[in-house]
Amino acid sequence: MLKSSLKGRMGMVGLAAVMVLAGCSEQNPAKPAKVASSSSATLVAYAAPVESDVVAMRRLTSEQYQSIISNVFGPRVKIVGKFDQLVRINGLFAVGAAKVNMSPAGFEQFEIAARAVAAQVVDPKNRALTMPCVPASPKAFDEACAQRFFSQAGRFLFRRPLTDEELKTRMDIAAAGTAAAGDFYAGVESGLSSLLMTPAFLFINEAVEPDPAVQGQKRLTAYSKASRLSFLLWNTAPDDELLTAAATGALHSEKGLAKQVDRMIASRQLEGGVRAFFTDMLGFDKFDTLEKDSVLFPVYNAAVSLDAKEQLLRMIVEQLVVADGDYRDLFTMRKTYISDSLARIYRVAAPKPGAWGEYTYPENSPYTGIQSTFAFTALHSHAGRSSPTIRGKAIRELLLCQRVPDPPANVNFAQFNAEHSEFKTARQRLEAHSTSPSCSGCHKLVDPIGLALENFDGAGQYRTSENGTPLDTSGKLDGIEYKDAPGLALALHNNNAITGCVVNRLSSYALGRPQTKDEKAWLTTLGERFAASGYRLTALLRDIANDKAFYAVPPAEQQVTQNVQ
Amino acid sequence: MVSLSPIPSSIFRPSLRAAAGAGLVAVLAALTPAKAGDPTSKTLGFAVTTFNTAMYESRFMDECPQGINATNDEFWWRGLSKEERGRLTNNGDMTQIARQHIANHRGPNGEDICQVPTAVKDPPLYTVRGKLAYGMKLDGTDDGKDTPKSCKHEKFTGVDGTPAIDNQLYRVLGCVYGWRSIGHIETAANGHRQTNGLGMILIEVSGVDDARNDDDVTISFYRSVDTFTFGASASPLPYSTYRIDYDGEKPRYGDSIKGKIVDGVLKTTVPGDVKLPFYANQSFQTMQLMDTQIELKINADGSAADGVIGGYYSTQQLWEYIGEQGWQPTGLYTCPGIYAAIQKLADGHKDPKTGECTSISSAFKIKTVAGFIKHRDGGDKPNKIAQAQ
Repeated sequence: MLKSSLKGRMGMVGLAAVMVLAGCSEQNPAKPAKVASSSSATLVAYAAPVESDVVAMRRLTSEQYQSIISNVFGPRVKIVGKFDQLVRINGLFAVGAAKVNMSPAGFEQFEIAARAVAAQVVDPKNRALTMPCVPASPKAFDEACAQRFFSQAGRFLFRRPLTDEELKTRMDIAAAGTAAAGDFYAGVESGLSSLLMTPAFLFINEAVEPDPAVQGQKRLTAYSKASRLSFLLWNTAPDDELLTAAATGALHSEKGLAKQVDRMIASRQLEGGVRAFFTDMLGFDKFDTLEKDSVLFPVYNAAVSLDAKEQLLRMIVEQLVVADGDYRDLFTMRKTYISDSLARIYRVAAPKPGAWGEYTYPENSPYTGIQSTFAFTALHSHAGRSSPTIRGKAIRELLLCQRVPDPPANVNFAQFNAEHSEFKTARQRLEAHSTSPSCSGCHKLVDPIGLALENFDGAGQYRTSENGTPLDTSGKLDGIEYKDAPGLALALHNNNAITGCVVNRLSSYALGRPQTKDEKAWLTTLGERFAASGYRLTALLRDIANDKAFYAVPPAEQQVTQNVQ
Repeated sequence: MVSLSPIPSSIFRPSLRAAAGAGLVAVLAALTPAKAGDPTSKTLGFAVTTFNTAMYESRFMDECPQGINATNDEFWWRGLSKEERGRLTNNGDMTQIARQHIANHRGPNGEDICQVPTAVKDPPLYTVRGKLAYGMKLDGTDDGKDTPKSCKHEKFTGVDGTPAIDNQLYRVLGCVYGWRSIGHIETAANGHRQTNGLGMILIEVSGVDDARNDDDVTISFYRSVDTFTFGASASPLPYSTYRIDYDGEKPRYGDSIKGKIVDGVLKTTVPGDVKLPFYANQSFQTMQLMDTQIELKINADGSAADGVIGGYYSTQQLWEYIGEQGWQPTGLYTCPGIYAAIQKLADGHKDPKTGECTSISSAFKIKTVAGFIKHRDGGDKPNKIAQAQ
C-alpha cells in the first residue's frame, strides 16, 4: 500500500518534470540562480543555467545513462529496461538524439529505470558505496544527510550543481516519503527517483550566457562546455575535476581547456568514448535484431553476435587508443581479439580458451581489416546467405560516407532466387540482375566492393566456392582494381574518402547535429590536421575538443523550440 | 602509445578508485600483446563425440540365432517360488529397477553377483554366431589360430569385406540387450560424455603435409578439459578449441601411434599401446587399449571424421567396467554369464605361465568433430611413440 502510494507520487513528479520542460520559458524566467553546492563560494559566480537559457538538447542514450549511473553510484547499480530507440540522422544517433519525441510509453521506461536505480541505491547491501552519510536515525528524516546526498549526487547527474529550488524539491519529496514510510531511505529513494526523471538529467542541455568578450554575443556556459567535452571523449557525464574546472571558469580559457582535454584523452575512459562513437558510426544497433538461419549456420547464436561486436570494438580500441595508430590501418590490420565462439567461426584455435585472446592472422589470410570481421560481413548479409550488394552499400555509406540510393520498388528477384537457378554464385546472380537499367547504376557502385568479401559466407565463415562453383572475388573501388579481400582492404586504406568520412562523422557526432555550410572550412582544417598527425584519432579528438568551433552556440535554426515534444 | 590514467568508482567512495582501476586493468590486459603463432598448423584435431562398442546388427538379428540374453533379474526371478516372489516384491508391485538390488544379491550367501560373478553359475551366454563384424586384424593370423601371444578364436569378416577381423568383445556383447542399439548403456554414456565433458577423447594427427594423402603422420590421444559447444541443432559444433588435460608438464594422456592418410582415410601403420580416458554411466577408467589401430574417414571439408578404433582390451579392466554397471538401471544382463564368456573368449596377451589370454580383441565405433587441440604454452614434454609389444 505504502509502496504504491509512493510510486504514484513519483510518477506525478516525473510527469510534472516533462511539463516544466515543455513550457520552460514561462515557468522559469531567467534569473541569477544560487547554487546548492557543498562548498566553494566561487561556485555562485557560475550559477547553473535556468531552463530558458537552453539552446540545444540531446537525450541521453542507454549507454550514457548506464555509464552515468555507474560512475555516480558504482557498478553494482544496474539499469533495467530499454529506452526508446533514437532516430539516426546524418548517419548518427548522436545527431538524432537532438530530435526526440518523448512518448508516454517512452517516458514510462525512464520512470521504471529511475525507480529501479533509486531502489538499488538505498538497498542496505549497497549503501556503503552509494550513500555519503548515515542518518542519525533510519526512521526519521535527517536533513543534513539528505542534503549532502542530493547536492552531491545531483551535481553529477545534472552535470551542474542543483539550484536551490531543484534541491528543495527533492528534499521536500524525501521528507514526505520518510514521514509516510517511517524510513529515511524510502524518502531518499523517492527523491532520487524524481531527480532521475527530470529533463535536466535525461537530456544533455546546452545553455548559453552573455559572452563577456564580445558584447551582444552569447557563448555556451562552462557546464555546457564540460558536458560537450565529456560526452565526446568519455561518453559520460563530467567528473569532479571537469565540473570544478567549469565552476571556476577555467574551461573558458584556452589553457584550462587544453589541460582538461589532455587529462581526458590520457584517461582510460577515452576507450568508452571511442567505443560509443564507432558503435554509432558503424550502426551496431543492427546487432539487436541480427538473425541467422540456424539450419544453414548452426554455429551462429546470440553469444556470437555479442562477441562479434566486442571483437570489432577491441580492434578499434587497440589500433586507435592503445597503439595510438593510423586510422587507415583499421582496414588492413591483422591483429585481432578472438573469443571461443568467434574462433569457431574463423576456424582457428582460441588463443585463450575461456577468455578473449590476441590473435594475428597470417600474411596469406583473407581476414584483413575490420571490414572482414564477422561483425561486418555477417551483419551486412541476409539471414541465409551473403550479400555483396548490402556489404558494398555498407562500406560506401558507413565507411566512405557516400549515399547509395534505395532500390526501386518494383525489382524482380524471381529469376535468380528460384530453386535450381542456373546462377550458382552471387556474382552470376548480380550480373543477371544488373542488366536492368534501373538497377545497374547503383549496383556498379556497390557490387564490386561487396564481391571482394564473397569468401565470407552469410555467417562470416571462410569459403572458396558457392554451390560448388569457385568464387571470383575480384573487384574495383573508385578506379583501384583488386582480386580479393586483402586487395579491397588496401584500396580502402588508400582511399581519401575513408579519412574524410571519419572527420565528418566525428565532428557531427561531437556537435550533436549536422555541420552547417559555414562549418565546411572547419571540416577542411580538421582534415588537414588529421592527415598531419598521421591520421591518429586521438589527435583528431584533441583538435576538435580544443577548437572554439566545437563550443559554438548552435545556429538558430537548430536551436530547440520552446515546446519540446 | 597512449598512457591511460585510472577512473573512479562511486562518487561517494573515492577510496575504491584503486579497485575500480584494477578491474579495468584486467579488462585491458586482454589488449596487451601475447605470443603470436598458431601451434595447430600442420596438425588435424578431432574431439570424439560418440564412443560405442562396435556392434554389427543385421536386419533380422541373424547374428544372434538364440535370441537376446536373459538378465540378472530374470535368473533371480526364475529361481524363486511364487511365495518368495510375493514376499520379496511387495506382492509383485515392486518394479524391476526397484528390486534390482535384491536380484543382484542372488549369490548363495547373498553375494552381489556383479561383484562376485563366480558366486553362481548362470547358463552360458548367447554369443554372436554371425560372420560379419567391425574391427581390425589384430593377431596377425588369417585364421585365429593359437600363437604364443594369442589364443585360438574364430575370425570375422569385416563389414566392408576385409578378412580376418578380430573382435571377440562383439562376440561376447553382441546379443546382450544393453549394448545393442535398442539398449541404453552406451546411449546414456555418450549423452553424459557430451553434456558433462567426462572422458572426452581428443585425437591429434600431427606431421601432416597433405590432409588427404600423407604416408607418415603421428596420431596422439589426449583427454580434454574443455567440453563441447552445441549448435542450434543440439549437435557438437566443429572447430572448437580443446585444452589438453595436463599432469604437470606432461599430458595426463598422450600416447601416440604412427599412421598415414590415404584418400582422406586415416590409418595406423604401426599399432601401439595407448591409454584412453573412458567414462560411462558413473564409471571412470583409464582404458588400456593394446596393439591399437585406428581407421577414420575424414569428411571432405575436414569438419568431422568417423571410423573405428580397435585393440586388445584388458579383460580385468573390461570386467571392472561391466561389473560396476550391473547395479545400474541400465545393467540388464547376467553378470556371471558375461564374466564367464569374457574368460572363455579372451584372445590376446596370453600369459605364458597359465596359457590363458588376459585381453580381448575389441573395436569401438567413434564419431568426431574437428577441433583445435591446445597444448600448454612452452610445449609438452615429448611423448614416446607407442609400439605394440
